[in-house]
Amino acid sequence: MVRCPGKTARLNRLFNPRDGRAVCVAADHGWMSDVTPNVMELRRILELVVRGGADGILISFGTAVRHGHLLRGKDSPAMLIRADWMNMPRLGASNVSNVLPVVNFKKMATSRARDALLMGASAITIYYFIGYGDEFEAINIEQAADFAKECRKVGLPLIIEPMAVGGMVTGVNIAEILIASGRIAAEIGADALKIPYTGDVKSFKQLVDQAGVPVLVLGGAKSDVPRDALELVDEALRAGASGTVFGRNVTKAKDPEKMVSDIVALVHGGKTIAEILGERRALGQRLKPVPTQCVGCQLCEVACVRAHTPGYGQTRARLRIQFPPLGDELSPIRPVVCTLCGQCVEACQPGALTIGPDSRLVLERNLCTQCGACVEACPFDLIFTENGYPVVCDLCEGDPECVKWCKRGAIVLTEWKRRARHVHAE
Amino acid sequence: MEVDIGKTIRISDFISAADGRALLLDTTLPASVGASPGLTHIDEVLREVTEILDGIIVNPGQAEHHAELLGGRRRASPLVRVDWSNVYRGPDFCLPAAQFKHLFISDAEDALALGASAAVASLFLGFDDEAEAKNIESLSLLARDCYRLALPLVVDIRPIGFKVGPGNFEESIKLGVSFMQELGADVLIIPQCEMATCATIGNWIAVPVLVRLDEIPEAGQVEELLKTGLRGIVVGEKVIAQDDYAGQLTKLAEHLHYRRPDDGALPR
Ligand code: SF4
Repeated sequence: MVRCPGKTARLNRLFNPRDGRAVCVAADHGWMSDVTPNVMELRRILELVVRGGADGILISFGTAVRHGHLLRGKDSPAMLIRADWMNMPRLGASNVSNVLPVVNFKKMATSRARDALLMGASAITIYYFIGYGDEFEAINIEQAADFAKECRKVGLPLIIEPMAVGGMVTGVNIAEILIASGRIAAEIGADALKIPYTGDVKSFKQLVDQAGVPVLVLGGAKSDVPRDALELVDEALRAGASGTVFGRNVTKAKDPEKMVSDIVALVHGGKTIAEILGERRALGQRLKPVPTQCVGCQLCEVACVRAHTPGYGQTRARLRIQFPPLGDELSPIRPVVCTLCGQCVEACQPGALTIGPDSRLVLERNLCTQCGACVEACPFDLIFTENGYPVVCDLCEGDPECVKWCKRGAIVLTEWKRRARHVHAE
Repeated sequence: MEVDIGKTIRISDFISAADGRALLLDTTLPASVGASPGLTHIDEVLREVTEILDGIIVNPGQAEHHAELLGGRRRASPLVRVDWSNVYRGPDFCLPAAQFKHLFISDAEDALALGASAAVASLFLGFDDEAEAKNIESLSLLARDCYRLALPLVVDIRPIGFKVGPGNFEESIKLGVSFMQELGADVLIIPQCEMATCATIGNWIAVPVLVRLDEIPEAGQVEELLKTGLRGIVVGEKVIAQDDYAGQLTKLAEHLHYRRPDDGALPR
């Protein structure tokens, strides 16, 4: 692939020339969404991200002015400047921020490629929204094309971030739209993509393959457990991604430095997730939701109840289908399943709840004090009680009915690894 | 002194100076619909056909990313498409277009910097009056820029709007050809149409006209087409999606340029 020397040199600062991969962190949230701790403590977080060994940090123009000096030195992360602004997180019932709701979706170009270049940037990043109607997409394409022209002129790489949102995007077509949008962005002039995960390795591989430019997967909403974020990276790498641009999963992490260095170990270090998290062995399988595939038919809930208790109804299902609030066109329908995160096990002081050697939650009723700590601890709100005792997902003896019944593959079984201390002695 | 020597030289990069004919490939559909069948891996296609074709129409991103596969002796010249439209998003696309959109994603200066031998843009006919006027306005601006920069302008005539039907399709093509000649286009591409229409256009038009085909024509059809005065063929992604497209295109190039199969040394 031939590019002008300026672009080549700057891309080499971002993508490690040894393996062609990059670990980037998006820290531009204060420019578009809510004032959360990751926005208010940005300087501290940026310092941790630098220490973690990121290859690039995406920041706004103002942050570059205030904190750009943190990126001095050959081994420091490349500066990526967010060159546009949008109000999507404040639209309607969006789940990110609604402090000052807006009605009309707006997106503006706010920096020029030349401004970013003079600031010392190695690339700029812009959005490309698709799915919100033809008029809005055309504005996005026009802006992207303007940036592409200017970037070619000044030798600055352009990273386009396709975002499939809007009334025309559904759980059924989102992967297909993302795949098409990645290629459209490359045709317009993107040198790399920053793009959401499509939900499964097969479709993401198709996206990477068809785009023809390096693909960086973004993290999206913050995962409840770091392992989920690392699994997303792992799957994207297996699909051929060139790295990551994680935002909230790093900037809102308990330990941003560790989170970055864990991702670096996965992306550049060739480490497995088990090695990174100090897990000792593989222990079978666990459930994994694929929200992009879910159409909300709730067959899985029915199947779950029928597998465990006679009769119908979904209230006693050990999983849940979470629908977006009314009027929220942006969020997918999401199966919420037990991921064996282990938080209930951690919370159980008497040790009545454990994860068995066959990777299933096991309750020893004689040890259970009915204190309810496991119910409280479950980050997914999936554990309910029956006669005071917790009812947990038991994977249907290893052959989960929800997986069998869901014809769309929205709940799948995936390899499960966990620290041995949660596990029954064999 | 020939004042447009720059244009003359650049046109000869993709329309043979020896026989005045051209065989082009258009690879630009993926800007509207993503990777289309045949164009999933554009680098592979370019590598396969660059020594067969006279020119390849590419989007700016691909012109930049795959510059090493285009241009130079005995290889296809890059023609950069400077516009974009959602019009090819049919009902089977994951996000069908509800409203016609057409805009420019590059300009003459950008195309020239990308090494283009020509800028390519579409004239869409048959949509509402506002869209048509805007299209004419932007093409005329582009024509003036191209003139200033000695960059040939190729206009791709697309009578595909809701106002066009079987009854007025052929006449719409003639109208588009007339408009674009008056506007200052240097080369025109017309859609596949009746031979009588090709003959009318071929006898009257002062600039080279190429016809867009979805299938490789037989040798006899090529002869017939050239007799009408048209100067060549543009094939699209449908041809590239077929098996052995390189072999078929080689044969087509031979017919078009009167080259014998073993006669690779003829000047092009
Ligand atoms: S209710 Fe039982 S299982 Fe849950 S935390 Fe208390 S003791 Fe453990």
